[in-house]
Amino acid sequence: MSPLKITTRDAATGPVLEITGELDYTSAPALRELLTTLTLQPGQRLVLDLAGMEFCDSSGLTTLIAARNHAHAAQSDIALAAVPDHTLRVLRIVGLDQILPIHPDSRSAARP
Amino acid sequence: MDISRRNNVNVIGNPQGPTVVLAHGFGCDQNMWRLTVPALVEEYRVVLFDYVGSGRAEPSAFSEERYASLDGYARDVVDICEALDLHEAVFVGHSVSAMIGVLAAGLAPERIGALVMVAPSPRYIDEESYRGGFSAEDIDELLGSLESNYLGWSAAMAPVIMGNAERPELGDELANSFCATDPAMARVFARATFLSDSRDDLKSVSVPTLVLECAQDVIAPREVGAFVHQAIPGSKLITLDATGHCPHLSAPEATNEALTAFLAGLR
Amino acid sequence: MCPTGQQPDPHGTSEEKTANAAFAALLEDSAEELYESAPCGYLSTLMDGTIAKINSTLLGWLGLERDAVVGRMRFTDLLTVGGKLYHETHFAPLLRMQGQIGGIALEMKQANGTRMPVLVSSVIKHGANGEPLLIRTTSFDARDRRAYEEELLRGRKVAEEARRQAEADRARLQEALAVLQQSLLPATLPPVPGVETAAHYHTASPDRLGGDFYDVFPVDDKRFAFFLGDVCGKGPQAAAVTSLTRYTLRAAALHDSDPVAALSTLNKVLHERYSGSGDPRYCTAVFGILDPDPVTGQVAVRLAAGGHPPVLVLRADGAADFLPTPGGLLVGILPDAHFVTATTVLAPGDTLLLYTDGLTEARTGQDRTDLFGDEALRAFAADHAGTSPQAVVQALIGLLHSFADGLDDDTALLALGVPALNPQTTNPS
Repeated sequence: MSPLKITTRDAATGPVLEITGELDYTSAPALRELLTTLTLQPGQRLVLDLAGMEFCDSSGLTTLIAARNHAHAAQSDIALAAVPDHTLRVLRIVGLDQILPIHPDSRSAARP
Repeated sequence: MDISRRNNVNVIGNPQGPTVVLAHGFGCDQNMWRLTVPALVEEYRVVLFDYVGSGRAEPSAFSEERYASLDGYARDVVDICEALDLHEAVFVGHSVSAMIGVLAAGLAPERIGALVMVAPSPRYIDEESYRGGFSAEDIDELLGSLESNYLGWSAAMAPVIMGNAERPELGDELANSFCATDPAMARVFARATFLSDSRDDLKSVSVPTLVLECAQDVIAPREVGAFVHQAIPGSKLITLDATGHCPHLSAPEATNEALTAFLAGLR
Repeated sequence: MCPTGQQPDPHGTSEEKTANAAFAALLEDSAEELYESAPCGYLSTLMDGTIAKINSTLLGWLGLERDAVVGRMRFTDLLTVGGKLYHETHFAPLLRMQGQIGGIALEMKQANGTRMPVLVSSVIKHGANGEPLLIRTTSFDARDRRAYEEELLRGRKVAEEARRQAEADRARLQEALAVLQQSLLPATLPPVPGVETAAHYHTASPDRLGGDFYDVFPVDDKRFAFFLGDVCGKGPQAAAVTSLTRYTLRAAALHDSDPVAALSTLNKVLHERYSGSGDPRYCTAVFGILDPDPVTGQVAVRLAAGGHPPVLVLRADGAADFLPTPGGLLVGILPDAHFVTATTVLAPGDTLLLYTDGLTEARTGQDRTDLFGDEALRAFAADHAGTSPQAVVQALIGLLHSFADGLDDDTALLALGVPALNPQTTNPS
C-alpha cells in the first residue's frame, strides 16, 4: 500500500514514465494530469514502465487507455513494460492486451 | 415498556385502604410529597410516580411530541391507573397536575373517583377578562431561567454548555439532586404547562373535587382559585394560610388536615 | 501568623507592635461593616418570604431604600416575573426539602428597570426544636459571568444549528444517491417462464454511486434478454455511463436481439460519446438471450461478452465451469470492436451465474493482500451447484459478508436457472 509515484525520463524512442505504487481511483487522476502535459512527437513511443506498480484498478486501466489515446492522437505509439502478473491477467480478461503492446521490460520497450 | 419502571411508580401504605394517587407538578418530582405521605400511609394505599421527563422516570421514554401537551401527561396517569388496575382512586394533583388529573378523569372516568387540586390554574396567561397572572413574555422569561439553571445538573453546567453532556451519572452526589431534570425535557414540560388552556375542561368534572389554594401564591393567585371553584360544579374550596405555591411543603399540617378531612368524607 | 488574643511578642519590634494593633482593630471593626458592605448581597426573610434584614450592598444594587423593603417586600418581589416562576416551582420547594440551595441563577429587578443577573444561595435557620425560623440568602453579582455564559450558549446554538443543517444535507444527498442508484437497477426481476432468477447488488460505499449494473427483460413473446456489467470508475460520471449503457442495451436488444449486435451498438454509442472527450469511458458487459423450450424444459443460452470475466455454469450434477468468451474487448474503447459469442444449454437444475469482478478481486488473507480469485469462486460455486438460483445468490451474499473490509468494490450478482425436476434429490453434495 504505497502512494503513486511517477518518474519521467527520456529514452531514444521518447518519454518513459516509471509508475510505482498504486494506480487507483484516488491516484489515477495524477497520471491523467501528467499525460496532458506530455508532448509527443509523431513517430515517438510513450513507454509506461509498470515494474513498480503494486495495484491497478479499473480507474488505472482507464488511464492506460487514456495514455494510448493521447499517444495515438499525437501520431505516436505506446508500449507497456514489465506489467505485473495480476494486471496482465486483468488486461487479458478485458481484452486490452490486444490493443496495448506489452514488453517484458523497459529496455526492450524503448528499443528503436 | 413496563409502566412502573417508566414512571418510577412507588406504591406504599395500607394495601387494604382506598387508593390515593399523589401527582407532582412542574419543577420537581414525587419527593414533593414527603411531608404528605406520613399523614396518609396508615389508612390509605398511596401511589407515587414521576411524569416521563421528570425525576427518575425513564428518560428513554420521553417523546417531545407526546409530552408537548398536557394530554401526554394525562395518558401517563391513565397508563399508571391501568397498570395498577385502579378504580375510583383519589387523584391529588399539585399545580399543573391538578389539570392533568381533570384530563385523566375525562379519559378514564372509571379509574378516578375524586380530585384534590392543590394550587391549580387552568390558564396562566392573562386573556381578555381572565386574569391568570402572567403575560406570554413572562413565560419566555421562565424558559430563560430554565436555560440558565440545570438543577441536579448544575455541576454539569460547563459540559452542557459546551455541548458535551455525556458525563457519568452526577445525580446522587449533587446538591439540588431532588428534582433533577433533563433541561431539554423540563423545557417541554414548562411550555406544556404554562402555555396550556384547560379552562373549558373544568366544566366536565363530575367527581367530588376539593380545591386547595394558598392565601399568597404568585403562580396561582386567589382569583384563579375562585375561577376553578366556580367552574367545577359542587367543588369545595379551602384557602390555606400559606405562602408560596407549595402548601404541602410550606404548610404541611394545614394541608394534610384539609386533605385527610376530604378523604374521610368520601368513605 | 495571627497574634490576636495573645500577649504581644516580647521580642517584637515597636513597628511590628503597631502593625499588629492596626490589624486587630480592623478585625474588631469588621462584623457589622462586613455585613453591610460585603462584596455580595445579604438578605434574611421570614419563612413566608417577608424581608426582615438586607445589607447596603444589595440595596445599592437594587437602587432601593431600606424602609421601602424591610417588612414590606418579599424576596420574590425583588425578582423578575420569570424568576418568580422559577423560584416558586424550583427554588422554594428544593429549599424546603433540603434546608439549603446553592448557586441558582436568577435575575433581580433594579429600580431603574434594568435586570441584574445574580447567583443566589439560601439556607434555612432552624430553632432549638428544629422548626424553621428564617431564610438566609446571599446573592453574588453575576453580570459578567452571565454575559460569558450567554456567549457560550449562543455559540453552542450556532454550532448545533450548523450540525443539524449538515446532517440534513447529508441525509438529502444520500436519499438522492439512493434514488439514482435504484434507477440504474431493476426494482424487481420480471418472471421468466420456466426460469428462476435471483440478483444481488452490494454497494461498497453508500456515499458513492457504483457502476455495476444488470437487467432481465423480454425481447419477444418467447425469449428474454439479460445483461450484467461494470462501468469503469465510480461516482456521478460513472453513473451517467451506467444509465446510458442500461438503456442503450435495452433499446438495442429490441431492435436486434443478437448478443454481438447489442454489444456492438453499445460499443458504438459509448465510443462516439466519450472517445473525443479526453475522458474515455467504457464498460465491461455480458449480454445474452434466454430461449426456453417449453417441450423439453431446457433453456438455450446465447451470450457475448466484452472485457468481462467469464460467466459460470453450475450443473445439476455438481459441476461448475467457466463459459469462456475470449478476446472480447472492453466496450467503448475502439470504434470497431469485435465480440465473441458463446452458447450453452441449461437443463433442469442448471444455473448460469453472472458476476462483476468485485467478487473475484476481493482481498483475502490476514493482511488482505491475496485476491479471492477465479478458481476459488469456481470451487465455491461447485459446492452450491444443483441448488436454486436464490440459494446460490444467498450463499454468495454470505461469502461477500465474510470478506468484510476486503471487499472494497461494488459487486453485482445475477443467477438464472432452470428449476430442478425434483429438488430433493438433485443436490449431489
